[in-house]
Amino acid sequence: MGKKFVVPFGSQHIAIPEPIRFIFTTENEIIKSVSVDFGYVHRGIEKACMTRYKYTQVPYVVARVCGLCAVSQATAYCMAIESLMDIEIPERAKYLRIIVHEMDRIHSHLFAIAHLSEAAGYENLFMRVMRDREFVMECLEILTGNRIQADYSTIGGVNRDLTKEVYEILKPRLDELERRLYELKEIFERDYTLQKKWKGIGVITLEMAQKYNAVGPVARASGLATDCRVEFEYLPYKELDYKMVLYQEGDVWARNMVRLDETLVSIRVLKNAIDNLPEGDIKVKVKGNPKGEALIRWEAPRGELLYYVKGNGKSVLERLRIKTPTFSVIPVMKELYYNQPYAFVPDITISFDPCLSCSAR
Amino acid sequence: MFKMFLFSLKNLFSKPATLPEGTEKPKQYRGLIKYYEETCIYCKKCEMVCPPGAIIFTYPEDGSKRLIFHYNPYLCIYCGECVRACPKPGTLVQVEDTAPPATAQDKPNDLWFEVEKEAVESKKIWQEARRKKRNK
Repeated sequence: MGKKFVVPFGSQHIAIPEPIRFIFTTENEIIKSVSVDFGYVHRGIEKACMTRYKYTQVPYVVARVCGLCAVSQATAYCMAIESLMDIEIPERAKYLRIIVHEMDRIHSHLFAIAHLSEAAGYENLFMRVMRDREFVMECLEILTGNRIQADYSTIGGVNRDLTKEVYEILKPRLDELERRLYELKEIFERDYTLQKKWKGIGVITLEMAQKYNAVGPVARASGLATDCRVEFEYLPYKELDYKMVLYQEGDVWARNMVRLDETLVSIRVLKNAIDNLPEGDIKVKVKGNPKGEALIRWEAPRGELLYYVKGNGKSVLERLRIKTPTFSVIPVMKELYYNQPYAFVPDITISFDPCLSCSAR
Repeated sequence: MFKMFLFSLKNLFSKPATLPEGTEKPKQYRGLIKYYEETCIYCKKCEMVCPPGAIIFTYPEDGSKRLIFHYNPYLCIYCGECVRACPKPGTLVQVEDTAPPATAQDKPNDLWFEVEKEAVESKKIWQEARRKKRNK
């Protein structure tokens, strides 16, 4: 029995730029108990959507829930309203939504990978990944007109079309990005330092993932096959040769590799979508107000995103509920710390790619 | 590891990846909204759809139909919803420039709150003026 020490991690910590607070009680550097607290950046977005904004304005409001997965939030909300009001959007709009959504996923995943390598002390690799991420950011900028806040999905379709000029700029950039991603994969697979640092650390077993209801890349790294893109057919992912990435190890390394492999899958889906883009309109006109309830589960870069919408025939929604992926993985994250040395905490925390501003809404 | 070491050495002699200051933005970058009064029919659709409420029309005192357009570039999120809602194309145009950072001297908030208040008050005066005109 060693002496007990209480070590606070956060609410401001150099390993995570976002506010979350853990209080670890350690014995000889081994963690014995954890308490988690978050919600420091609550902005009341749900309440604002239910009182101040019309339901047609809400896509632009919920996009501000999260910076990195802004596209997923807006798309999920639009799909919820469309299923509520029985709106069938054009095929071209569906494909365009996939294109922007996958670009969003690539840049979010590359950011997570870069961040994890930085936490491992590999600054050099961090800069390299961030440099390659710039390719997809530029693609997003050309297609949607902005780097982060795409404001692309709207109720009934999308806001901008993919013209021929844009296609000619995008195509070579995506090829170059794919080449660079394969190079990155080779580095991550072979690097001696990273293997030592990440393999066998923070292992989530399949039983644990099921018991604590893990989502997204975290679940898929433990062999739990959960992916809303496969489970639901809101958007035509099947036609675009999408395959789920599964790893069995469940450690920090596997979580990183799932993200890296998913970017490669996303690139393949993206290229298929851009080449086989159907002709037609990008938007249908929407009339009337929503009445009834709808629930949507949608795959954001970090995992399953849940939107519940309830309308009562007025222009302002009666209820909007957002459950973000980081919120779902916090229980398994907490469970993982027990009986681990304190030195592993930054790596484990960042391997979840936490987005606390999302969870606090 | 060795590969990354070589990559770092190469980077010492290569050009920086960051773009220099003043690089041109890509075409069709979303930016500020420009308003041309000549074609405007004062339907106020842009004011109704704007998510942050960055467009406000105030009413003239004499009761004429020419409303006054106010636009807050610091509040605008550049979504382009007003441009799509406008029934007269060419009245509202999205340009590629973004708003310069606001300073304390600009008083962006105080001035805008006054406009918001004025929109409510001027409407009453305007309605009264319209009623008088009609009664004459």
